[in-house]
Amino acid sequence: MSAWEVAEERARAVIDRPDHRDLGVVRAEDAAEFARAAGETSPRLTDPGHPGFTVHPLYVVSLLRGAGGAGPCEFRPDGMYRDEVPGTDGLDVRLMAGGQEVRFTGEVRAGDRIAVRRVLTDVERKGSGAPFLLLTVEKTYSAERGTLARVRERFIVR
Amino acid sequence: MRVHTGQPVPPVEFTPDAVTLLRFGAVTRNAHRIHYDTGFARSEGLEGPVVMAQLHGCLMHRAAMAFAGPGGRVLEVEWQNRAPALAGERLVVSGTVGAVDPATGRVTLDLVEHGGRGDVVCCRGRAVVLME
Repeated sequence: MSAWEVAEERARAVIDRPDHRDLGVVRAEDAAEFARAAGETSPRLTDPGHPGFTVHPLYVVSLLRGAGGAGPCEFRPDGMYRDEVPGTDGLDVRLMAGGQEVRFTGEVRAGDRIAVRRVLTDVERKGSGAPFLLLTVEKTYSAERGTLARVRERFIVR
Repeated sequence: MRVHTGQPVPPVEFTPDAVTLLRFGAVTRNAHRIHYDTGFARSEGLEGPVVMAQLHGCLMHRAAMAFAGPGGRVLEVEWQNRAPALAGERLVVSGTVGAVDPATGRVTLDLVEHGGRGDVVCCRGRAVVLME
């Protein structure tokens, strides 16, 4: 069995099993740096001192971890988190992002503590000459006052 | 502002270089080596370090937000990666209005991101906005 076939078997075994992450508390300074790194120039996104400052809507859904970061044992040799792409921990497979669908349902504010519910919902074999796996992960981002965003993210595993 | 199907979405552009990718990776806690390690990226079959998916999404979002105007809102944004974009590549997102729902005011934008010399489709996407 090839590594990606092992990944497929493992991934199929965890379909519809949710896990939860705490992304910590949103800091205005981090959100502003995110906006600057993304090429934004509006002070409403880049200057936490601006009276109309808002957290960039894609900031929280782009976070792979919160401000606390991760320990050395949480990384794969390729630099990805071991638990980021279901079924791939410890396997010599190539990982790529396939795209995202983001639906905003609330405004993220500085000071929000963000929780994420992640669940693998689909595993597909794709490609003919060079087959690969397409994994679909659905994520729900919430703060105390309710749901902020729903995301469907796809990962390519070769 | 009156909006009609087929109306162009004005282009927005960004050229994320190696420094940009390092900053973006740091603030999102993304340590995947394909984004900063040239040797590793090549070992994965890429020409060099590539732009993060979320950064493509940010450019899609910016195009939608600019179209919606200062009082507008982006309700949804989505993108599918079609080809990797290398660090230092000029990326341009443009598009057209795909649908207008007069009952809800929701406007759907069909978006595309070009890289390379403008001849490579890096992403295709869609956004739903409420106009100002």
